Amino acid sequence: MELARNLKVDSVSRLHPTPPWQVRPDQSVAEAVALMRQHRVGCVLVCPDEDELLGIFTERDLMRRVLAVGLPLSVPVAKCMTRNPVVVHPKDSIGAAVRRMEEGGYRHLPVVDPAGRPLGVLSVKRIVHYLAEHFPSIVYNQPPDPNVVPLEAEGA
Amino acid sequence: MNCPHCAYDNLPGSEQCGHCLADLTQLDRPVAQDRVERSLMEDTVRDLHPTPAITLPPTASVQQALDLMLQHQIGAIPIVDGGDVLVGIITERDLLTNASDPSAESAPLSVGDLMTSNPTTVRASDSLAFALHQMDAGGYRHLPVLENGQLLGIISVRDMLRRIMRACKTRGW
Repeated sequence: MELARNLKVDSVSRLHPTPPWQVRPDQSVAEAVALMRQHRVGCVLVCPDEDELLGIFTERDLMRRVLAVGLPLSVPVAKCMTRNPVVVHPKDSIGAAVRRMEEGGYRHLPVVDPAGRPLGVLSVKRIVHYLAEHFPSIVYNQPPDPNVVPLEAEGA
Repeated sequence: MNCPHCAYDNLPGSEQCGHCLADLTQLDRPVAQDRVERSLMEDTVRDLHPTPAITLPPTASVQQALDLMLQHQIGAIPIVDGGDVLVGIITERDLLTNASDPSAESAPLSVGDLMTSNPTTVRASDSLAFALHQMDAGGYRHLPVLENGQLLGIISVRDMLRRIMRACKTRGW
C-alpha cells in the first residue's frame, strides 16, 4: 500500500485512459467543441489521420486562443491548438505522468504508443480517482459531513 | 472485534461492547499506515493555503469572467452575492458547454445564467482526505473553501496533487 512505490511501479495503462477523441486539423473549433461537449471531456486530439498526433485542443485553448481574442468558432482547430503536446506512453509509470502534469500545469496528457499513434488521454481526474482508490479506508470512510456524528446508533 | 476493556468478542462494526457496554466506535476509525496517509487524515484544507478567491457577482458578464480567468490564469471563479455569501461557481467547463459564436448576435449572458449554483464546498478545517473524496466523487477540479460560512479561498486539484506528491517525496521516476 505504499503510494510512493506504487506510483513508480504502476503504469499508465492500468488507469485505462479515456478514448482518444479526435478531430482533423481542418475541422472547425465549433466541431471540436461539439465533440468535447458530446463526450463530456476537456480536450480532443488533433490528428491528420488516425495514426498521427499533431496537437491537442483543450478548454484552456478555447478560452485563451478563441474566446479571449474573439475569434469565430468557424476557424480551423489547427490555428488554436497546442502543437506537439507533452505525451505519455502506456508503459510509463503513473508517477512520471503526474510529474509531467504538475510541471507543465496540464490536466490532460495524450497517451501514445512508441510509434506515436494516439491511444487515449489521461486526465487529472483519473489520477485523483487513482489516489482516492489507493486510500479507500481513509478517503471513502469520510462521513458526508465530517463534523456531524450521530449521537445514537441507528435503531437504538 | 474484541473489546479492549473486557476482551468480549463483538460482531465486527459494533458501536458498543455487548458485554461491558464500552464505546467501540474508535476501533473502526481508519488508522494511517504511512506518512502520506497520515498527511491526508491529519492535515487540513487550510494547510493547502487556499488561494484567496477572486470573485464576481452573479450580475457580471460572461466576458468579465473570461477576462478574469485569463488574467489570473485560473479555471474557476466563485460567485458571491452582495453579502459576500457564496451562491455559485463558474468554471472553464461552464464556458465550454455554453460557448457561443462571438460573432453571433445574441443577448449577452451573465455569469448567473451559466454558473453552477450552490457548489460543493469544503471547510478550512476539513481533512485533505475529505476534500480528495469530494473532488473524486463530484469530478471537481476546484472546491471553494469556507470558514465560518465565509468564503476563504479556493483549492484546486493541482494543490492537492502537489501536496500528495510532496508527501511521497520520491525522486528518480
